Amino acid sequence: MSSLLNDIEPLKQAALADLKAASDLGALEQAKGTWVGPHGKLTALMKQLGSLSKEERPAAGKAINAVKADLESALAQRRAELELKAAQPQHPVDFTLPGRRRTLGKLHPLTQVTDDIVRSFRKLGFAVADGPEIEDDYHCFDALNTPADHPARDTQDTFYLQPAGSADPLLLRTHTSSVQIRVMEKQPPPIRIVVPGRVYRRDNADATHNPTFHQIEGLYVDRDVTVGDLKGTVEFVFKDLLGSDVRIRFRPHYFSYTEPSFEIDFSSPLTRKMGKDWLEIAGCGMVHPQVFETVGYDPETWTGWAFGFGIERIAMIRYGINDIRLFYENDLRFLSQF
Amino acid sequence: MKVTLNWLKQYVDFNGSPEDLADRLTMLGPEVEEIRKLAGDFEGVVVAQVITRDRHPNADKLSVCRVHDGQGERQIVCGAQNFQAGDKIPLVLPGATLPGPPGEKPFTIKVGKIRGVESHGMMCSGRELGLSEDHAGLYLLPPDAVIGQPLAEHLGRVAGDVLYDLEITPNRPDLNSVIGIAREVAAQSGGQIRLPQVTLPAAAPGLPRAADLVEVRIDAPDLCPRYTARVICGVKVGPSPAWLKSALEKVGLRSINNVVDVTNYVMLETGQPLHAFDYRLIARNAAGKPTIVVRRAQPGEAFTTLDGQSHQLAPDTLLIADEEKGIALAGVMGGLNSEINDRTEDVLIESAYFAPTGIRRTSKTLGLRTDASYRFERGADPGNTDWASQRCVQLLLETGGGQLADGVVDAYPEPIPTRRITLRHHQVNALLGIVLEPAQVEYYLSQLGLRIVGRKATPVDANLAPEPVTVQIPTFRVDLKRETDLIEEVARLYGVDKIPATPPRGAIGSHPFDAVFDQHAEVRRLLVGLGLHEAQGQTLVSEAAARPFSPNLVPLQKPLSSDMNVLRPSLLPGLLDSLRHNLNRKNERVALFEIGRVFLPGQTQPAESLRLAIALTGPRQPEFWAGDDREARFDAYDLKGLLEEFLEKLGLRGVAWVRSQEVSSVFLESASLALGGKVPLGQFGQLLPALARQYDLRDPVLLAELDLNQLLVRRTATRTFKPLPAFPSIRRDLAMIVGETVTHDAVLETIRSAKPQYLERIDLFDVFRGKTVPAGHKSVAYAFTYRHAERTLTDAEVNATHERVAGQLVANLPAQVRG
Repeated sequence: MSSLLNDIEPLKQAALADLKAASDLGALEQAKGTWVGPHGKLTALMKQLGSLSKEERPAAGKAINAVKADLESALAQRRAELELKAAQPQHPVDFTLPGRRRTLGKLHPLTQVTDDIVRSFRKLGFAVADGPEIEDDYHCFDALNTPADHPARDTQDTFYLQPAGSADPLLLRTHTSSVQIRVMEKQPPPIRIVVPGRVYRRDNADATHNPTFHQIEGLYVDRDVTVGDLKGTVEFVFKDLLGSDVRIRFRPHYFSYTEPSFEIDFSSPLTRKMGKDWLEIAGCGMVHPQVFETVGYDPETWTGWAFGFGIERIAMIRYGINDIRLFYENDLRFLSQF
Repeated sequence: MKVTLNWLKQYVDFNGSPEDLADRLTMLGPEVEEIRKLAGDFEGVVVAQVITRDRHPNADKLSVCRVHDGQGERQIVCGAQNFQAGDKIPLVLPGATLPGPPGEKPFTIKVGKIRGVESHGMMCSGRELGLSEDHAGLYLLPPDAVIGQPLAEHLGRVAGDVLYDLEITPNRPDLNSVIGIAREVAAQSGGQIRLPQVTLPAAAPGLPRAADLVEVRIDAPDLCPRYTARVICGVKVGPSPAWLKSALEKVGLRSINNVVDVTNYVMLETGQPLHAFDYRLIARNAAGKPTIVVRRAQPGEAFTTLDGQSHQLAPDTLLIADEEKGIALAGVMGGLNSEINDRTEDVLIESAYFAPTGIRRTSKTLGLRTDASYRFERGADPGNTDWASQRCVQLLLETGGGQLADGVVDAYPEPIPTRRITLRHHQVNALLGIVLEPAQVEYYLSQLGLRIVGRKATPVDANLAPEPVTVQIPTFRVDLKRETDLIEEVARLYGVDKIPATPPRGAIGSHPFDAVFDQHAEVRRLLVGLGLHEAQGQTLVSEAAARPFSPNLVPLQKPLSSDMNVLRPSLLPGLLDSLRHNLNRKNERVALFEIGRVFLPGQTQPAESLRLAIALTGPRQPEFWAGDDREARFDAYDLKGLLEEFLEKLGLRGVAWVRSQEVSSVFLESASLALGGKVPLGQFGQLLPALARQYDLRDPVLLAELDLNQLLVRRTATRTFKPLPAFPSIRRDLAMIVGETVTHDAVLETIRSAKPQYLERIDLFDVFRGKTVPAGHKSVAYAFTYRHAERTLTDAEVNATHERVAGQLVANLPAQVRG
């Protein structure tokens, strides 16, 4: 009698050892059959319960059930271990290997800089405008008060198209300022526009020149516009664009279509890195009354300012690019840096 | 314009540092592009005393000396014999550079061994210092010379000078002169300009008058409003004195002889170009008097300038001539036949005012730019013609001697009137955004030499001074033309820096392009997301590269080179250039897009239109280290898939892809894209291998070019929500064998014509050619998705529809359903 009770613990120990020893799921299933299956040894032991006395039966039954629960829990645990082991791949992932890359394209750095400049102007209520790259003398020069014999109008400096028949000579615009005229011809004041675009100068390509490059220009016409307004806007745009630690200064200069005219220098950690206190970055001025008269605005009622700068130049300063030709080669090693 | 600080200081007092002056000039307008310290005379040369002098152990003619330089003792090896211990001599310290004898390079003194003995410097002769021609011995200094004092100080020479390089804007020709710049400095600092005193010798009895020696006749007063001539007889042509040479050389001009140098000096000083003729080489008129004729060139007339170049003259060229021949290209360059030479004794000095347009035309036509033409074409000062001539004559008499003929011949048939401009004080403040008292404004104007010559009697406002005022403009200020120009002058002198910046205000801008700009940005964003890099190409391309893309081109009149002689008719040649550039640099997988304008001849004038182009070549996938398809190259289906995704996301549906049948000069195979079968959007395809080879491209090149404006006009940008399906779908697959020529479109068309109920979508999932498929055929497999919006479909319903569709396909394509 007591031999049954005495058998329980050794049986449990042997069963646990057997389960633990199973090295794969198949062996585990086999071990399960040996001990807790319908023909297993624990099952056999349970069948012997009936041969016990009434008094002995409850304790023995309880002990066997406890062993059964232990064995099942051990079995589940071992199964989980073996399943995980079985799922392990033959070749574990080397997490240091390069992954399968999905490429994302990049916007051209000139687009990025243009977008940033436009964003600044738009914060101030400017609308983006554009105009043709093929222009006539009138919109590119005459209407902008450029004297008839100004060097800029020379075929040395400006690309003219081969004349086709009778029409007026056509040229490739030398600045985005021609759009000022086109917009003022069409819209009454007030005007608040920003004009990005491609322009042309008859320069041979080198590190700082390309026959085509990009400009962006702002024009504001309203009542009582002053030089102070011009300075305020320029400061806002450049601080927005180049950082709040940038300093701006205006120097008197000459442009035919503004009076007074100024050049704008800026100073920032960037310029100091280039070894310069001040770096010239833009030209600007109050719209010349002659220009207003030409487009039919009354210069006694309206005043305004315009300012413009080269997009390549800003990009070169911002990123430290040393050769303007890089912008047009579209070398992926260049494009993917921005 | 180059100018030195010391030269400027002759005309204006300035006490600040050289850097301070540079800042002031820059903030006034003439930007200082470079500021350079000029080495003073005898830099690194000091007064020293010989303490001992001993024989050199290895050389009889050399001595080894101990010399005190004021700081300490040095050992110097010396070859001179004319000195002894106790003498004071000039000592060059190591590291200093001596100019060297004329014609030889300067040399730098170093510590070195001479015949085995170290020498720490050099004691010099007069010639070595350029102080005399004496080279026999050391340049001995007087006993009271102070040991250690810089030699320049000992000799009373000026210390180092400063050279400024100024950028002069074309509207300010008056600043192309030292006096002009001094005038700006004086105006800004509140000082006064100090012009040189010019006094000419009084007429002496027996001396000829200029009017007796020369006659001036202006035949072209439109091109030459004023011409003056003076004559000096018996000038000694020779080298210039040191001060003159040095003044010119410091600003980068070569010294030629005293006569030419003086004319150059006065040009730099006053801005008035001058010319000196050999008086005796000027032909006489019928009355026996040498005559200057200012006239236009005759048809076919040739002229040799003093640089030896012969020029064929256009009829509008202004010539200075005598009665027989041209003797100078007016305002540009003198003639070989009348220039100052070794035998010149009598000199005629020309000082004239030539009209800017004429000089500009001549200089441009002949490709001849000189310091004189530069100044004349920007505008000389007609009020200064005679004073500059007097100044020139004064300096010529000082440097070359001779006797000045009395008076001047001044041909000035129609004096140029001085300009007057009306200025309203309130307008100054209104434009600048500051408040300036009228007195302050008028003070600034007076500092610039602008005079108030008239004033309206009654004030407009009790608080304001009477206005407007009338301002007289000096002749040298050719840029001042109207009120706003005067306001600029006020702003400059007030200080642009001092104008307060006011916050932006008012008015919201508007322009039709504003919204388009955003659409372009959206297009860029989509394409970048699809893995394309944005490119920006050259708009100027070669005709040869452009020709395959368009028979009609827009050529430039005067291209820089044949590489850039037409405007691009397409974005594709530029993208092909970029592909080549990348491939040559081993960037093998290239996927680019560009948005830009193309140019094609139009009815009346060339038309610009906006295009979007895409180019793909190389491996389909970025490099990876495993996988069966890693060698795959981009093919037409890659580009098509990209375009489909892009167009759909942009909001364009119903694009038809129609195979192009005609032979193309660009594509091996291509298709045109059209919206609703009608509106053309562009084309795409694979580049002709022959063309690819021209661009060094080996892998297939896939290109697309679309009309961007058309895409944006035709897109449906607005989005409407469609409820998500509430009931499940049922999928049925159908695999069939069809002939090679049966297109996907034909299959879809047949299915559509069967009008299958509840069919939601059809997806092609396999195309197969191989053993189990008969030759000339292919196996295609489609997935049909059926769904009802309001209930769950039954298998029976779907099967009925599906079998009917299959039957139509079998009958009409024809097709054979695979088991």
